Amino acid sequence: MTGKERVMKVFNHQKPDHMPCFSVNGTPTYEQMEKVGAYWPEAHERAEDMAKLAMAAFTVLGFDAVRVPFCQTFEAEALGCKVKSGGKENIPGIDHPPAYKLEDEPVFPDDFLQRGRIPQLIEAVRILKREVGDQVAVIGGIIGPFTIAGAMLDAVPILKASFKEPDKLLPFLDVAEKAGTALGKALIDAGADLICVEDMQASPDLIAPRTYRDLELEYQRRQVQALDVPVILHICGNVDKIVEYMTATGAEALSLEPKSDVDAARRNAAATTIIIGGVDAATTLFMKTPEVVKEAAREQIEMGLDVLAPGCAIAPGTPTDNLLAMVEVSQEYTS
Amino acid sequence: MKILEDFSNIFTRYDLNIEVARQEARKVSKDATLQTVADAVVVGETEECEAATKAALAAKSPMEVINDGLIPGMNEVSRLWDEGVYFLPQVILASDAMNAGIALCEEKMGKAMDKKGKVVTHTAEGDIHDIGQVIVNALLNANGFEVVNLGADVPVDKVVEACRVNNPVMVTGTALMTTTMTAFPKIAAQLKRLGLNIPFVCGGGAVSEEYVTSFELGIWGKEANQAPGMAEDALAGDNWNDMRSKWNG
Repeated sequence: MTGKERVMKVFNHQKPDHMPCFSVNGTPTYEQMEKVGAYWPEAHERAEDMAKLAMAAFTVLGFDAVRVPFCQTFEAEALGCKVKSGGKENIPGIDHPPAYKLEDEPVFPDDFLQRGRIPQLIEAVRILKREVGDQVAVIGGIIGPFTIAGAMLDAVPILKASFKEPDKLLPFLDVAEKAGTALGKALIDAGADLICVEDMQASPDLIAPRTYRDLELEYQRRQVQALDVPVILHICGNVDKIVEYMTATGAEALSLEPKSDVDAARRNAAATTIIIGGVDAATTLFMKTPEVVKEAAREQIEMGLDVLAPGCAIAPGTPTDNLLAMVEVSQEYTS
Repeated sequence: MKILEDFSNIFTRYDLNIEVARQEARKVSKDATLQTVADAVVVGETEECEAATKAALAAKSPMEVINDGLIPGMNEVSRLWDEGVYFLPQVILASDAMNAGIALCEEKMGKAMDKKGKVVTHTAEGDIHDIGQVIVNALLNANGFEVVNLGADVPVDKVVEACRVNNPVMVTGTALMTTTMTAFPKIAAQLKRLGLNIPFVCGGGAVSEEYVTSFELGIWGKEANQAPGMAEDALAGDNWNDMRSKWNG
């Protein structure tokens, strides 16, 4: 069974030969860069390098899916935010000061898909589809409304507004949702089998669960409904308090960090919801040994995972051996 | 047959009950004007807090308003945060309200309030989200420390220079991303080289105890609310080794 078949079996609610293992978030590490000869920052900027580095998740690690992009700045950049390069070692971030103020009236630009590095991202998906699309699933990554709005307004102002003037955030969330959805549709057209929505800033670590319910849920739901491939919703941190709302977005799969209670998520999500989770990207995959990784992976799987994955984006300094250990564990769980 | 006398739990939307009902601040002062000040901090209303502070200053000394109104209010916020009642936005709003009140008190005193000691805080280079640090700053402020706030995305050299110039009792670093925390051992090494053996508390989403205790000066900060207690220890003269054995491991 190819990785792609394995992944699609899970998303079709059938039994794969064994549990799939892949990352719904960024996959690159320095070791993979050396092995395939594609590096940051070029792999954040040029389609060929981006696809080459993404493919390492398959060719070097043996993951069942590949994934682009590796940062969270594509939509925000196209909406006018200034991007700060992360150089060779880091991912790009949004620079200060923020591009928008709460009083602004943001507009979704007609030429959104032609802006910034978006054409390169779309092309990278085309390349991945062509080169490895029959062997592994291709995941297109987009950013959730609250997180894009957070990039537009900056973290502290949007957090304050979420309590003081939530209505003022609506035009931003609207534009942000349109941005992610437009990008998601374009990535699907280019060949993405799955879309992953990363919405880091919608985590209860940052916003109150009621803010998620009252402000963000509706926009996420719109986004999920508008995308006609299975959607994976990834929110960082401990999401125990919002798992039910995450399910209500209609996302086929929820991706959780080990900080969340997989067991509770299994109970609180819909019966058909696919739960993706696994090994903590920072404290375990990056810091520990293959043996510890295996133990941690098995422990999480026993709690009810459908897909084994790093809990969040793989830290670039992560040793390849730790990632291979994770893949090895997924193969123990045959059906 | 059991007859229900209380119908309040029938057709209750339990799904709406996701957060503990908004709590009042505990009484922190017998004095009504000071309690009003504390309440304004707890609800995070800057203008309300300024008005209450002005009213309190008519009868009380600025230090009384700070120590018996504004700071106890922020401590209540810290408690509500610890208990999972409050979320990050409320802590940020409360800290704004408290700082606005403190500014009015300082204006009346004609000088800045006396601080216990300085703490340099920063978020690692490459990390643009200083949200964890915002809480650390607020709690240190509320506990009478002078915060030298370097903000987010701060290069190693700038942190070291700020420590050299300010000679703080403690320095903190926050990192949310695994790619940025590698700046911490570099900062620690430079401080050591300059003979500045300042306890260096590092914390944040991506930062593990094992990592921070792998370099000299490093003390792992698990939660933001540990910062004031750690600063007190540093002020009392504990060195980084004492602090590490107390707070870590």
